[in-house]
Amino acid sequence: MTEFLETIVDKFTFRVATDRFYNSEGVWAKEENGRVRIGLSDFVQQRSGDVAFAEIKPIETILAFEDEVAMLETIKVNIAYSSPVSGKVVEVNPVMAEAPEAINQDPFGEGWLAVVEPLDWAADCERLLDPQAYFARMKTEAEEEAKK
Amino acid sequence: MMSGNTNKKNATRVVIVPCSGIGKTYGSVSREAAYDLIEDLRPETAQLVPLSLLVLGDQAARQAVSDSPSITIDGCKLACATKMVQESGGTVAHDFAVLDVYRRYRQFKPQGIAELNEGGEKLARALAEEAAEVVDQLIAGGKNG
Repeated sequence: MTEFLETIVDKFTFRVATDRFYNSEGVWAKEENGRVRIGLSDFVQQRSGDVAFAEIKPIETILAFEDEVAMLETIKVNIAYSSPVSGKVVEVNPVMAEAPEAINQDPFGEGWLAVVEPLDWAADCERLLDPQAYFARMKTEAEEEAKK
Repeated sequence: MMSGNTNKKNATRVVIVPCSGIGKTYGSVSREAAYDLIEDLRPETAQLVPLSLLVLGDQAARQAVSDSPSITIDGCKLACATKMVQESGGTVAHDFAVLDVYRRYRQFKPQGIAELNEGGEKLARALAEEAAEVVDQLIAGGKNG
């Protein structure tokens, strides 16, 4: 079962899953039997707002590290997210076409974006944040947002 | 989404309760849709009840939602309009969420707050037209009931 780090900032509760890595934008990457599942963190989904549309790079797309992997249109913004892993997209969450609100409802679970067959996961992983480092970064960002 | 008793007998009017999200684009769309509906599309059969009056416990507003089926138009997932009608003793016959309507009309991207852009105005109109059909169904159900 996934465990979480959790903090409350202002009136918002943010969770960080401890079984995966994160890039600086809050895109998570979780290795599963040689492939890497990716998605958005709880903080990212809360900050971005309710998702209206999610466009994920299609299967067979070759991604370099930090290439755009998804474009989200939310009630607040249109925003692109970078891939935390290099490789080939081998699966796209089918839920995203009809019910992208899954990102808001379950960002670490049913709201995943894609699965990537990695080129060099070990090297990519070195460039990512571990859960504790991302938690600290996210907490600082959340506190700064709360002051605005 | 139908979420209540749509066959409330003797319905001659339908109450419209939009989001009161001031300063939010989707809240503005919900209110603009409500105005289109009660002023233009179904002035004889649709009645606006401001969410703020329900929140304040206004007796006339509570009576209105008790006496007639309601259509709520929520601007976000908090669904304040729907919850408030239910807490006020009313029946939500149909609840619209602006985001869900936008997914059906992606060409009408809403922007602006105090003044909606053209996309927002068109989205509000599309929502109002969908709501008008629901009003007609409810009134027909009342007449048949």
